[in-house]
Parts: sequence; C-alpha cells; structure tokens
Amino acid sequence: MRSVTYLAVAIFLLAIVGPFFAPYDPAAINIPKRLSPPSSEFFLGTDALGRDILSRLLHGARYSLGLAFLISFIALVIGTVVGLLAPLGGKIADWLIMRTTDSFLAFPELVAAVVIAGLMGAGMWSLIFALSVTGWMRYARVARGIGLSLQSRGYVIQAKLAGLSPLAIARWHYLPSLVPSLTVVWTGMFARAIIGISTLSFLGFGVQPPTPEWGAMLLDARIHMRSTPLQMIWPGLAVVVSVLAINLAGDALRDSVAERSEHQ
Amino acid sequence: MIGTVAGLILRAIVVLSGTAIITFALLWNAPGDPAQAIAMARFDALLTEDVIDQVREEVGLNTSFWSAFVDWIAPLLVLDFGYSSVTGRPVGPDLWVAITYTFPLAVMALAIGLAISLPLAIIATKNPGGMLDRLAVATASMGTAIPAFWLGLLLILLFAVQLNWLPAMGARTPVHSILPAMTLGFGIAASLTRIIRSGILEARDQPFLPAIRRRGVPVRAIGRDHIAPHAAVPVVTVVGLELAFLLEGLVVVEVIFGRPGLGTFLTSAIVARDFPHVQAVVVLVALVFVTVNLIIDLIYKRIDPRIGEHDA
Repeated sequence: MRSVTYLAVAIFLLAIVGPFFAPYDPAAINIPKRLSPPSSEFFLGTDALGRDILSRLLHGARYSLGLAFLISFIALVIGTVVGLLAPLGGKIADWLIMRTTDSFLAFPELVAAVVIAGLMGAGMWSLIFALSVTGWMRYARVARGIGLSLQSRGYVIQAKLAGLSPLAIARWHYLPSLVPSLTVVWTGMFARAIIGISTLSFLGFGVQPPTPEWGAMLLDARIHMRSTPLQMIWPGLAVVVSVLAINLAGDALRDSVAERSEHQ
Repeated sequence: MIGTVAGLILRAIVVLSGTAIITFALLWNAPGDPAQAIAMARFDALLTEDVIDQVREEVGLNTSFWSAFVDWIAPLLVLDFGYSSVTGRPVGPDLWVAITYTFPLAVMALAIGLAISLPLAIIATKNPGGMLDRLAVATASMGTAIPAFWLGLLLILLFAVQLNWLPAMGARTPVHSILPAMTLGFGIAASLTRIIRSGILEARDQPFLPAIRRRGVPVRAIGRDHIAPHAAVPVVTVVGLELAFLLEGLVVVEVIFGRPGLGTFLTSAIVARDFPHVQAVVVLVALVFVTVNLIIDLIYKRIDPRIGEHDA
C-alpha cells in the first residue's frame, strides 16, 4: 500500500512541476503536423491543431488535479464549519442544519453541478463554485457525527464548564479528533472532483477549450475518433490513473485510521 | 412505528421544500436578465426597454423574492411545468417523451449492473483473499475510477468504430440502447460488487452462524435464510447512492450517444437558457430522489428497527 501512496504523491507533484517537463508549448499550433501519430518527435502524437498531446497532458494536470485540490479543500472547509455548527448550536440549530444538508443532498451532485455551472455561464469560476457548493455535504455529516459523539466526553463538558467559547471548543477539542476521518473523506472527494471537473468540461460547462484540461481535451479528441483513436485514449487514461491512485491511497489511509482507533 | 413513519415523511417534505428554495434562489440569481431572455424568445427582434419591462411585470419578476417564489412554486405543486421559453410548447409532453427514453435505459443499466456484480461478489467471497477475490476487488476499484463519459467513448470506439457491431448514435431501435446501457451498467457493477462483497463477508462473521451450523442446518439454507438478509442491509442503503450515480451517468451517457432522453433535455435546455425546461428536470429529479430515499428509509426500518434511532 505504501507504493500506492508514493504514486499518489508523484501524481500530485506532477501537477506542480509537470509543465516544466513539457517538450512543447501546449498552445503552439502546428497545422502541417496535425493529427500525427506517436513518434520520437511527438511522444503521444498531436491533436487536430497540431498541438503536442504530451505537453497538453502535462499542463492539463495543473487544471485537472490543481482545481480538484482547490475544490475539495473549499468543500472541506464549508463542510467542517457547517458540520460543527450543528453540535455546538443546540437542538434547533442541529435540526435546521441537517435539513439544509439533506436538501443539498436531495440532488445527485454532478447533475446539480451541471445545472449550476451551466446557468452561471461556462468558465473556470463557475466550475469551482458549482463543484464546491455541491460537494460539502459529506464532510458536514461526518463532522457532525463525530462532534455529537464528543459532546458527552468529559473533557468537552469540562471545557464548557470552564467557560471556553464554542469557537475555542471547536478549535481545540473537536477539530483534532476530526482530522483523521475528514482526511479519509477528503481523498474520496478529491478523486470525485477530478471526475467532476473532467465531466463538466467534457460537456462544455467547465474549463473552456484552448485550456488543456483533460476533459476538454477528450471533447476535442472525440470528433477525430475514426482517424486518430489514440488521441482519445491519453487524457482518459490520465484521469483513470490519478483517480485510481488517490482512491487506493484513501483506502490505505482509512485502514490505518481504523486500526489506530481500534488500538485506543 | 407510525410515529417514525410520519416523521420520515415529514422530513422528506421539509427536504423537498428546502430543495425548492435552493433551486429558485439559483434561478433568481442566474446571471443575465431572465425577462430579456423570455422577451427575446417570445418577440424575437422587438426588444425595446418597454417590452422587456412589460414582460418583467407579466411574469412577476419585478416582485420580491418570496412572492415570486410563491408564484413559481404554486403551479409546480400540481406538476404544471408551464411552457418552454424557447419553443413555446408546453413542457409536460416533451418531458414525458424524454422520460420514455431515459427510464428503460436506467432499468437496463441496473439489470446489467446486478447481473455482473451479484455473481462476481458471490464467487469472490467463496475464498476471501484468494486470487479470484483479489481480481474481483481490483476490477471493481478500476471500474469506479473510470469516468462514465470515457467508458462510453471507449465502447463506441471498440464496438461501433473498430468492430462495427453496434450502432452508437441515436435511439431509433432497442439495439441502440445496448452500448449506453453497458456504459452505465459497468459503472454500477463496479461499485455494487464491492458493497455486496463486504456485505456478504460481514454477514458471515455473525456470531450466531456457528450455532446454526452446529444444529445441522444445510449450507445452502444458511446462505439463503441467514447470510442473504444480513448482506441485504448495506445493499439497500446503496440503492440510493446508485440512483445518484445512475442519474449523473445518464446525463453524460445520453449526450455522448445522442439519445433524446432527460440528460439531453437538460443540457440543451441549459445551453438555450430555457428555464422552464431546466426547472422541470430539477423538480422531477429531486422528487424521484427524495421519494426513493424515503422508501429506502422505510424499508430499512422494516429490516432493522435499530437503525436510525439516534439520527436527527
């Protein structure tokens, strides 16, 4: 399992330093060399405008993985705050917050994201907003569940009696216990965000074409399926390998978290 | 019992109202002037300020958020979806046509998913940790990592472009739904296999099983009467999640395969900014989703009365 974690880290690093390894400018149009097969000049071939696919993949990692990181992190923050407000705010606040969470959950996340991003007008900011606003509910449920179970613990009651503010209790007593479980949820949501970004971009509601995002690249490649099928393989493979690595790393993390809580 | 059932139904109603408010807030705040969009759809070129203002007044867009919300929700409560702001045709019949394309596809996909995952999970759990088990788990992990749209494209590439066995685009004959149903079915099979597998493994660890075995109950009967009901509990939960996956997948798959179902209906409505169409799909999806989850909660209560007692 350690090797999978390394792979996940490697993919993550690739998003940061990947563009420096790109042999060509990802936007450089080279019409005479359009749709060329993989060769020593273009390792993965070129697309319909003669742009080097390998360079586009490497630059695209920044969008596909970087945006997924940003989105899952924003959702993590929203979800944790909402989830902790529930046990801290008392019964009525808890009920209201959980019903709001349920209302957001009453809709398949990706369908909601498509509607929101589409109505806001396609673009990167709509994409970030749409996927963050539809992705925080799982964190909130986990945070609330753990918060409720901590409520009756001796040290939390003592902190309350000592006159600590709810904010301080959340910071010093709830947050540390939340970290392991929320990290596990986060890996899952990170992987989902990668798929979400590429799906929305593929549908035309996300990152817009000249930008080398993986889903947008697939949208470009789809028209040339008959002549250059390989062009369609690479971006999809990049999505699958990243998602798989992150999911497996998440599984390993979940197992070790479960083991540690058993030892306690 | 009656109290909890009423509570669950009340909760579903509260959730649906919340969803309605969120949806309306979204439409209300959508960029661009909706009055202008409607005026453009109705009168084409006659776009003076006066015309737009009159449309705004007529549609009730000049009122406050809450009174506009009441005007908006009232017809939806009796499932009156109004008229398309692009074609001017009533939304209901067009929506129904889209459903007749989407529903059979969803059923086929679920059937394929179950037909693959159930035998696979049973074979895998014959020898947990063995070769077959590992293979099944690896395939399932792989399957959950593949985005539906890419799988769809790969299947088109293989079966329609390279082998030329199956048609890829459109929905004229039942044969046309084989590839889209396979795309969705494989995705469902991947997640179901993992869940059914761990359900069976967990049910097998139940402490009462050795006692039953020692009483001389045949292996087959133990599997049927004692392991299967236990394994069913997580599976029932997952049906709700699967439905979400299915609806998400349907949108993408219908667009890829050019099927005139709900997904295509939704995406083309978004592009055309046809708000009545968009909200019809949103309301329908939320209704189906909340109803199914309500039914799951009710079934759940029946299978295992302990569940959900401490849930708010």
